[in-house]
Amino acid sequence: MKSYDPIELELFKNVFIAVSEEMGAVLGRTALSPNIKERKDYSCSLFNDKGETLAQGSYIPVHLGAMPLSVQSAMRSVTFDPGDLVILNDPYRGGTHLPDITCISPVFIGGKRSFFVANRAHHSDVGGMTPGSMPLATELFQEGLIIPPLKLFSRGRMNNGVFDLLLSNVRTPEERRGDLLAQFAANEVGRARLEEAVTRFGVEKVRLYSGLIQDYTEKFLRDTIRAIPDGSYDFEDLLDNDGISARPIKIAVRLTIRGDRAVVDFSASSPQTEGGVNANLAVTSSAVLYVFRSLVEDDIPFNTGLMRPLEIVAPPGSIVNAEFPAACAGGNVETSQRIVDVLLGALVKALPGRIPAASQGTMNNIAFGGYDPWRKRPFAYYETIGGGMGAGPGTAGLSGVHTHMTNSLNTPVEALENYLPLTIRSYGLRKGSGGAGRSRGGDGIVREYEFHVAAALTIMSERRRFAPYGVRGGAPGARGRNILVSKGVRTALGSKVNIKLRAGDVLRVETPGGGGSGKAPKKPKRVGRKTALSSS
Amino acid sequence: MGRTGRPERKTPRRPSPAVRAGVDTGGTFTDVVVWEGGRLSNRKVLSTPRDPSQAIFEGLGDVLGGAPGAFIVHGTTVATNALLQRKGGRVALITTAGFEDVLAIGRQTRRDLYSLRPEDRFELIPAGLRFGVRERTLYTGRVERPVSRTEVRGIIARARKAGARAVAVCLLHSYVNPRNEEVIAQELEKAGMMASVSSRLLPEHREYERTSTTAINATLMPVMDRYLTELDRRLGRSELRIMQSNEGYITSARARLEPIKTALSGPAGGVVGARVLAVAAGIPNVISFDMGGTSTDVSLIEGRIRRTHEARIGDFPIRLPIIDIHSVGAGGGSIAFTDRGGSLRVGPQSAGADPGPACYGLGDLPTVTDANLCLGRLDADFFLGGKMRIYPERSRAAVGALGRRIGKSMLDTALGIVAVANANMEKAIRVISVERGHDPRGFALFPFGGAGGMHAAEMAAHLGLPTIVVPRNAGVLSAFGLLMADSIKDYTRSLMKPDSLVTLPELEKEFRGLEEASRRDMAEDGFADKDLVLERSLDCRYLGQSYEIDVPYRKGRTAARAFLEAFHSRHKALYSYRHDGRPVEIVNLRVKAVAVTPKVPLVKERGSPVMDPRAVVGRQSIVCGRSAHDGLVLDRSRLRAGNSVRGPALVIDPESTIYLPPGHAARVDGYSNLIIRKGAAR
Repeated sequence: MKSYDPIELELFKNVFIAVSEEMGAVLGRTALSPNIKERKDYSCSLFNDKGETLAQGSYIPVHLGAMPLSVQSAMRSVTFDPGDLVILNDPYRGGTHLPDITCISPVFIGGKRSFFVANRAHHSDVGGMTPGSMPLATELFQEGLIIPPLKLFSRGRMNNGVFDLLLSNVRTPEERRGDLLAQFAANEVGRARLEEAVTRFGVEKVRLYSGLIQDYTEKFLRDTIRAIPDGSYDFEDLLDNDGISARPIKIAVRLTIRGDRAVVDFSASSPQTEGGVNANLAVTSSAVLYVFRSLVEDDIPFNTGLMRPLEIVAPPGSIVNAEFPAACAGGNVETSQRIVDVLLGALVKALPGRIPAASQGTMNNIAFGGYDPWRKRPFAYYETIGGGMGAGPGTAGLSGVHTHMTNSLNTPVEALENYLPLTIRSYGLRKGSGGAGRSRGGDGIVREYEFHVAAALTIMSERRRFAPYGVRGGAPGARGRNILVSKGVRTALGSKVNIKLRAGDVLRVETPGGGGSGKAPKKPKRVGRKTALSSS
Repeated sequence: MGRTGRPERKTPRRPSPAVRAGVDTGGTFTDVVVWEGGRLSNRKVLSTPRDPSQAIFEGLGDVLGGAPGAFIVHGTTVATNALLQRKGGRVALITTAGFEDVLAIGRQTRRDLYSLRPEDRFELIPAGLRFGVRERTLYTGRVERPVSRTEVRGIIARARKAGARAVAVCLLHSYVNPRNEEVIAQELEKAGMMASVSSRLLPEHREYERTSTTAINATLMPVMDRYLTELDRRLGRSELRIMQSNEGYITSARARLEPIKTALSGPAGGVVGARVLAVAAGIPNVISFDMGGTSTDVSLIEGRIRRTHEARIGDFPIRLPIIDIHSVGAGGGSIAFTDRGGSLRVGPQSAGADPGPACYGLGDLPTVTDANLCLGRLDADFFLGGKMRIYPERSRAAVGALGRRIGKSMLDTALGIVAVANANMEKAIRVISVERGHDPRGFALFPFGGAGGMHAAEMAAHLGLPTIVVPRNAGVLSAFGLLMADSIKDYTRSLMKPDSLVTLPELEKEFRGLEEASRRDMAEDGFADKDLVLERSLDCRYLGQSYEIDVPYRKGRTAARAFLEAFHSRHKALYSYRHDGRPVEIVNLRVKAVAVTPKVPLVKERGSPVMDPRAVVGRQSIVCGRSAHDGLVLDRSRLRAGNSVRGPALVIDPESTIYLPPGHAARVDGYSNLIIRKGAAR
């Protein structure tokens, strides 16, 4: 490791983080779609000339490990010129799932390609079988438009042909145009700020610290791993199904700690599946990095230095390293959560006093669309619902929050009812759904939608069959439930459904609770309202 | 002046200009600025956090003795402290049944992205005090299900039994139709309970933010009621006004009902003071930079004060118009240390006043103040006007020890501490300028607070700000601002319609409704119609967006749709593009009612370039970059309008020190401001 000047290191940390945060501010404020602005489903980063991340301004952990792979894939596919903007979403060439579109711009200093800035945003529609582009598909082609790394802007000029092709294949082209321009604006700001830094500090210094900042982050992770006892720790858990067949899907990990290095081996996991819960290596890396980043308690920049002490073993063709053309819309949002669960499960054995129980383990993706006769327009909508957080040793889990791989916001009920032909009948905590224990798991959420018109509904959810585990003797959290009430008849829906709703139908989603931690005291204190689980 | 005794007012409760005082309660000091008989005077006394009024009466002293009583505008931290220390009153919340947990769920996000330990969360209103009432209003305003008074009475009884001292009421879609909320409010009134009602306080959509605002208000009501009732009683004939976070004051009676509006009372005074002085100096565009012991507050003034509707205090959003102030944990007391990765960090931990910076002689942690002392940017002999003894050798020892740990000399370490602190504060300035669509280079830096003057020149240079304006008596700027504030009330109404579906007469009718309400309220506070300035504005966004932009709306047929162009062009300035073809949605109508209050006149002094030789009180070695320079130390109170000074130099105020680096020059303007420019006066 090269030695660094502690003062300059701090100044450059500040610069790199500020640049990525400013990019994020611009993207959030300029985008058109609620998914990007309101729910903040995006990330921004800067990279050195090798495509290594220096710092990342992020709201969404699932983007973390994936971004450098995007930049590296783009470097292999195109020759960058000044003023270029390269976009991609192909999960098998640097993407994660199709709705996540990544935009990459080179930064040239003195005629030499020296850095990159990039951002990734979740677009609410990229074509495919169903509105919202989160379908229950069996191959990638059905999930939407596949974009390999290509230039949307070439030497500062928009490539109109590419733009037209893209917008012709999506359901809401105007919104896509706005969001893509916002992504362009964010990169422009990032580039300008990085150039300012070069003017102020000199290119050699900036380049030097673009490497040293990774050493800095790496050191924190190595210290953290060193504090974990050497050994091998196994854990496995199941996904409910892939939405096509009813078979559960296994994710198994063997975590081996040796000194300041860790090997995360998923070899015993299920093969890739027909339905779209396949994760590619980018998603799997993100989940692994998320867990290790969370083990580091200090406030450190997120960058490629985190990768160095880690080795990920994920056999090609498996559920955690799917191969083209496996469908993968849900790999990013659902399977990533389960990967976190199994890795944390293994860590419980290594660090029994630190690791929390499983959180809700799903994002509860709800997408629907149809025609609104009052507003005289088609509608398409996508949202995710929070749930219970797993309890830690001595601390109860939070209730009604997004956990692990996402942190997107909800849409206010009052805003929703103003835009869609539906009424939300309840939105509250699902009392008692958190697993019992010395510390209780957090409660899930109940959300009821009453549809006033017919609509096509897709649900992609998990933990309807296999509950979030408790730890140290704590009880599991309650499983989630999807219920349809149509003409007074209640029907239990599965984890993943694609159905037509009639006017007057009510969809009730009950999200999972978090697992509990520690054995509940023998004689429970009278808690009153917190009674035993009534459901599932 | 000369606006007293208006004949048309029966009860002349309007502010009498005879004796006026601004009273600012701060964490450490309570500042009082008094205007009496054409003279301004100020006083600084130690705050008395247990009973803030003690310090107030000490500071006011004999001002209260005068016959007609004084007119007092008060900046108070009572609401802020109750919020931050979580010491609000016990209150209940009534919501639409099925939505009792809106406050608990929030936006369903967590604060820390990477943490295996759940964050510490404060439940503003615990589950046992949240009550659902069976009712429903739809988004159109149609009442699908009215409230049952019997059910409401039952809930009130249960709330009272559970020990609630006040009740917050927030029902879905009450911003379009408050009928159901009003029924509950009537029942609360009958029951003699304090009520905080969302459709009265904040009739805007977004149930979580409205509930949060209403609930916080309720928790503050008992606290503020107790504080102000007592203060009012002890002030006797004097008239008490309370500063709000929106840059204007209200009567204490109103502050008791809407205490949340005083949440940023203190900092608001500082920003008002900065605006008044900046405009008078002919430099209306400034970034105020208030660097204290533990934190730094910055805000942007473009001739007028920028406000935001998206503020937070602690964990909770507050959707009321509040001065847009951004705060970072960097100040003179911020502690420097090396982290596990070997990086030199500064703050956010602060040494506070006890033990304080190493130079106070009580502790040995190196702080920003110690670094400045090592570099000669502070003069030990004149610390706090020479009233407080400090120990520079202890600073050198503390900074030197840190330096040995990182392999640097004492001076290099001190320079590093200052550079890192500056970088933290620069980030805050970028947030309120660049991130809000303003180029900071078009603004002057306006430092105040104890430590601002030592850092201003370097910060301005890095950010490309051409000018620095350092006000006189910067230490009591907040109290001065209170004296110069107007009474301001904000009124809002949610519309949520695309522009094409809104007729101008409809807008006019809605605006008139808000304006009538404002006139009524202002008349109650003793203001005549002719004292009022009413400003109309609209919150607009492109249909489908979720953040609004506030644009002015002017009366008159031809200009009526001008707000559309204003919206498009502001959108472009902020976000770099405009969508002329896209429908524009009008989300909220707003009226800002300003009751103009008589002001203390600012008198411009004639200038002279000749400096009083007694202004030079010493010489000092000042470190800048790689070298030390011999610089003058000047007593600011001896500097006169027209005098100029060239760096390197220190200009000493009783409460602060201004550091002038080499290559910078300062001039005293007619209002005793120090105007600093780089490379000028050569």
